Amino acid sequence: MLRAPLAAALAAAFACRGAPTSTARHTLVDARDTYDPRSLDPALSTDVPTGRAVSYVFEGLTRFTADARLEPDLATRWTRSADGRVYTFHLRAGVKFQNGRPLTARDVVHSFTRALDPATHGGRAEPLLPIRGAEAFADGKAPVIAGLAAPDDSTVVITLDQPLAIFPKLLAMPVASILPADAPANVSDHPVGTGPWTLVRWKHDDYLLFARNPDYWGGAPRADSLEARIIAEPSTAVAEFEAGNVDVAEIPPDEVERWEADSARKRLLHDAPSLQLVYVAINTTRGALQDRRVRQALNLAIDTKTILAQLVHGRGTQAAGVIPPSLGGADTTRAPYPYAPDSARALLAAAGHAGGIDVQLWTGATPIMVRVAEAIQAYLNAVGVRTTIVQRDASTARDAARKGEADLFLKDWYADYPDAQDFLDPLLGGGNTGLGGNVSFYRNPAFDGLMAAARREPDDAKRDALYRQADSLAYADAPMIPLYFYDKLYAVQPWIDGFTLPVIFNGQRWTGVRIRTPARP
Amino acid sequence: MLRFIARRLLLAIPTLFGVLVVAFLLLYVAPGDPVTAMVGERADPATVARLRAELHLDDPLPVRFARYVDQIAHGQLGRSYITDRPISADIAERFPKTLELALAAMLLATTLGITLGVLSARRPGGWIDRAALGVAYLGISFPVYWVGLLLILVFAVGLRWLPPSGSGGLRYLVLPALALGMRSIAFQARVTRSSMLDALGADYTRTARAKGAGEWAVTLRHALRNALIPVVTVVGLDFGSYLTGSILTETVFSWPGIGRYVVNAISRRDLPAIQGSVLFLSAVFVLVNLLADLAYAKADPRVAY
Repeated sequence: MLRAPLAAALAAAFACRGAPTSTARHTLVDARDTYDPRSLDPALSTDVPTGRAVSYVFEGLTRFTADARLEPDLATRWTRSADGRVYTFHLRAGVKFQNGRPLTARDVVHSFTRALDPATHGGRAEPLLPIRGAEAFADGKAPVIAGLAAPDDSTVVITLDQPLAIFPKLLAMPVASILPADAPANVSDHPVGTGPWTLVRWKHDDYLLFARNPDYWGGAPRADSLEARIIAEPSTAVAEFEAGNVDVAEIPPDEVERWEADSARKRLLHDAPSLQLVYVAINTTRGALQDRRVRQALNLAIDTKTILAQLVHGRGTQAAGVIPPSLGGADTTRAPYPYAPDSARALLAAAGHAGGIDVQLWTGATPIMVRVAEAIQAYLNAVGVRTTIVQRDASTARDAARKGEADLFLKDWYADYPDAQDFLDPLLGGGNTGLGGNVSFYRNPAFDGLMAAARREPDDAKRDALYRQADSLAYADAPMIPLYFYDKLYAVQPWIDGFTLPVIFNGQRWTGVRIRTPARP
Repeated sequence: MLRFIARRLLLAIPTLFGVLVVAFLLLYVAPGDPVTAMVGERADPATVARLRAELHLDDPLPVRFARYVDQIAHGQLGRSYITDRPISADIAERFPKTLELALAAMLLATTLGITLGVLSARRPGGWIDRAALGVAYLGISFPVYWVGLLLILVFAVGLRWLPPSGSGGLRYLVLPALALGMRSIAFQARVTRSSMLDALGADYTRTARAKGAGEWAVTLRHALRNALIPVVTVVGLDFGSYLTGSILTETVFSWPGIGRYVVNAISRRDLPAIQGSVLFLSAVFVLVNLLADLAYAKADPRVAY
């Protein structure tokens, strides 16, 4: 767009004023949200800004650390029955809600029931659906959830339909947050949780202001308030950062070079290991794409390394599978498909398409995706895969792909929780075709068998091995062209102390973060 | 006069009904499914079916439309699919911000625009005229998005005079109002200039001069009053479009107005929110046009209702 002249103007503007090195603010200001949260009701939490805000006020039985490890939160420990179906959670003693009432097991049962209740208009309590009877309750066919019990005030017993080894991870998701059984009806306007922050004010599309919860069981946050600004335009967020008004902002891809070229700015940059996969889903049920050789040819035809270096400024890791390198099960030794246009042509010819094929490549409208789509189009055309780009708004493109109308669909995928399962199952699982996220419509009983075994496997190392195997299997079958795992880049002000960028969106609750007061001369 | 206002308000009802029909049908044929937008990137078919039933999305079109009209007739805009908040509360929170921005932009545009226009017309071809022409060219040809970012970089990041974005006191209003009003300043300066030139050459101006009125009195009392009529039209139209959402300006400056609300609603296929805000904004537009017509009568005694 007009980035080049803007960058020049900015450089000129900066010649007269250096970046601020201290601030008089006492409120931490986060500028990572680009749109308003849906709600502060945990039951409605389906997106990143919502999940982030919910995690400040509410807590679950478990939680993620900034580096995406699972740790106890409101439950101090849990046990798993020998058959893997019954989990017993022991609640932390002495925890109080922000309204002063102590936490009991009844609140947990109430919260999960509420999230699944059709009357809540939530629509996304999937992490809780593995509980026995949850589905029937959500459909209005059962008055209570059979698998939920509170034998005493500090114990919750959860029975699952089938063994699910990662179930405790699912309980760290915002939708499984705990709220008091006597919470006011309008949870979003009056959120009451056990978390480190309480809501002070929410100006929609503008900001959310939180104050420290002085009675927080984990020790009150170090800063007295936290503001989540909603800034729709990334360049504006960066301007706010440069003016010293916000403490953390994402650096949009277009600005990466400018920031890295300047040593003063470069010091403020922080990488966040990414749980975002950018890939091209190949609809394995359409025409020539049913042939595995054709799909492999597509993988061989694209020079992902160059795309990564030129279009994404090298901010990512080339993908050889769907599991991000930071998660268990990732095979960092697996070699990606090489860039081999000749082999691609040969494979196409072997599949009976020496004259080439015609495909449509669908994509959303974000500038970076459009650029990548254009590059892919050029690479594919070069080996005789005549590619037409179909660019639609995100919602339309996604719908078409879910209905199976798109040959190829350039998209990305963010993890909801840090586990390889959250990539393998939705993107490639035979039970998740279409709506479930598998827009490749890939169905492979061997793959599904491995994933079923992984679900039951309580041992982390053995489960990771199963993930690795499933990933390899699908990679060879080529139901997609995995491109790269994008590494987001953030700027953090020099006066911020104790902040780590989280791997997963709800892994940073700012409790240990403070603003260093300027040293007196 | 009152009869005129009453008639216009009555006429607004069929207009708004037409808007309602069009908005409803357009959303019906538009691709993209609100439920899949609600549940995010993935969903299980059972959840989707549950939500579709809950929102009556599978009912036949006439049934859905009748239900919607009935709801509107009872003064209800409904609740957002996405946030579950009442649409009327959402609009009530955001529209005042949009109004504030539109008024500020209009104030800036009319004062600067008309002043520039009058000064240019007094000495066509003089340095003020040429400078004003330059400003007008820039104002009309630069996209608002670009102007917005440039203003932020220069006045907020570089000079640190004003905050880059957000809303609050007057300080927050200056840059977005300038970015939004830029086009209007240019436009009004040009329209004022040309109609001032006509007016200054008109017989009544000569008469005014002949009876010995001072040059400023001639310009302001006699010529400007007559020259303002086309300017009122331009102001009315611009104001109407500012009120119905200055999406780009609101986005660049993170201004929590109605434009961003509508865009978000559209991208999430939040049908009640889109329909409700379209209806509300159409009503505002009708009202502003009515006010502009009343302003004609004030500016031009020949127009009477």
